[in-house]
Amino acid sequence: MTEVRLNAVQKRFGAFTAIESIDLDIKSGELVALLGPSGCGKTTTLRMIAGLEAPTKGEVLFDGHDVSDVAVQKRNVGMVFQRYALFPHMTVEKNVTFGLDVRGLPKKEISERLEEILEVVQLNKFRKRFPAQLSGGQMQRVAIARTLITKPSVLMMDEPLANLDTKLRGEMRRFIRDLQKRLGITTIFVTHDQVEAMELADRVAVIFNGKLAQFGAPQELYQQPNSTEVADFMGASNIFSAKLVAADRAETSFGTIDIMSQPGLKPGNDVYVMLRSEGIDLYPESEAPQGAQNLISGKIKAREFFGASVQYVVGAGEDITVAEQSRRLLDVGQPVVLSVQPDRVWTIAR
Amino acid sequence: MARKFSNTALNNQLSGFQKVYLILIVGFILGPFLPLIIQSLAFRWAWPDLLPGTWWMEQREVSRMPLAWDYVLSPYSRILEATINTVVIGSIVTVICLAICLPAARVLARESFRGKSGFEFFLSLPLIVPEAAIGIALLMIFIRMGIAGSYLGIIIAHLIPTIPYMIRMLTAVYQGLGKDFEEQAMILGASRWQVLRLVTLPMLLPGVVAGALFTFLVSTNIFLLTFFLGQGKIITLPTLLFSKISGGTLDASAAGITLIVTLPGVILLIISERFIKEEAFGKGFGN
Repeated sequence: MTEVRLNAVQKRFGAFTAIESIDLDIKSGELVALLGPSGCGKTTTLRMIAGLEAPTKGEVLFDGHDVSDVAVQKRNVGMVFQRYALFPHMTVEKNVTFGLDVRGLPKKEISERLEEILEVVQLNKFRKRFPAQLSGGQMQRVAIARTLITKPSVLMMDEPLANLDTKLRGEMRRFIRDLQKRLGITTIFVTHDQVEAMELADRVAVIFNGKLAQFGAPQELYQQPNSTEVADFMGASNIFSAKLVAADRAETSFGTIDIMSQPGLKPGNDVYVMLRSEGIDLYPESEAPQGAQNLISGKIKAREFFGASVQYVVGAGEDITVAEQSRRLLDVGQPVVLSVQPDRVWTIAR
Repeated sequence: MARKFSNTALNNQLSGFQKVYLILIVGFILGPFLPLIIQSLAFRWAWPDLLPGTWWMEQREVSRMPLAWDYVLSPYSRILEATINTVVIGSIVTVICLAICLPAARVLARESFRGKSGFEFFLSLPLIVPEAAIGIALLMIFIRMGIAGSYLGIIIAHLIPTIPYMIRMLTAVYQGLGKDFEEQAMILGASRWQVLRLVTLPMLLPGVVAGALFTFLVSTNIFLLTFFLGQGKIITLPTLLFSKISGGTLDASAAGITLIVTLPGVILLIISERFIKEEAFGKGFGN
């Protein structure tokens, strides 16, 4: 159980600044994702927490103690690499006990802890195999076991689900979550995939260009992004420029709509409004509800069918994307009416 | 259909043409040994006979051993001394070469610095400059330094043509070994020395063995540098052979020495082949 804090951490490589300045507060036992496009500095941040890189400025604190100058061997952290980095010349057993062997622990304790951890990751059958004889999911479980057996205070993972196929992803996701909750170990992982971040993490730190853009729970980032960049990265499709005519009314190119008033935004402000594609109700023109709020009429311009769900692009001054369960299918060219609840409209300052 | 195709491809492993080709290659490699072996067992073999006029077997009352082997095994041939010199010099050169090239290859494979490509070109210069030029220049320097005709001088000279090969081989091996493994070992608590001993070296082993083998073979085959710098005081198998055949005739004893000269390489090859195979080495590096 360790609390991790980054205090104004900066990292330069020569003239190149990888991390401008990052403050991050990770609670003990929390599962946090560092999310961002490639090259944004998320891996560098992880490597600084692990001790593989030293920050140029600022400090890394574990439970309030500055560990910036503590060597990686002494930091007692665990890291699971994206490609697992299993030692190919050692069996599963030897790989798993590596961390204890180099610490020179008594043989008896090592074998006890080995049995215990092999039980947890269900690798007993494979203990004598070499890494080349394992599947991707098994390799990852070996990598996790090898790290957990050293009882690290912080567990780090680099793109933990990226190398797995869809079926294994679900399995490993549940496995990692369960294990993390059971052991209560502070866990930080890096990913460029917002789905992976939302699937796994308690909180997500979005990093752009070496800066922390937003840090919050997945639903908060998804529904209430603080910038269009974050909204865009989290997969938002309907972001339109608008002008506030009242604290709870915005004028857009598809009409004036009621919104939830948000602190800090005043009438007259130029803003962006974001409409989540799954938060919009779609009606054929003939079935349009009477007297409902925020009715927008338009015409279906395109339809994409995904099996369980279907996505329409509706032309209504702007192109608005609407997603719904595919219980019915409307045709391209059909006139429709959209309706959106004011509390499903999120406003971002411009 | 695809299954049938792959079956035939696996069952009849080689086509007729491929078999002929393979036999030609084997013949090309082993062919030169044939006259050597015959010569070493001949009593008299003169032009233009296709085979020896007199075999040793027919004259065994006169000579109890084939002439070649009688000479080779006698102390007059100095072959034991030359063999020991060759093996000792080759081993020391290999060890020093590894000690120099391992760290250098690591830097060349992982770091980038100004003038790196120029430096890499510089490293391959000894392969371009003729050995005779290097040899004469070194001899002049070594005579002044008083290390001409000494083991030290020969070992230094042997390092010149071997280092470029070794660095190239080890750089390629290091490039194949990502940083991940060493970083992972460090995170797991291994000290620098433990990382080197338990992770880096075992993973580099096939490349190191291949590089060492190659260096040893090159060193044991260097004639010109050994000849210049040994000044006749230190003989190795190549210089011994040269002094034997420099008259222009290939007699029975020269054939015997030639066969002996090939032995260290063959033995080493067999040993290292077994050694690399016994390493239960996984193919996958985690992907």
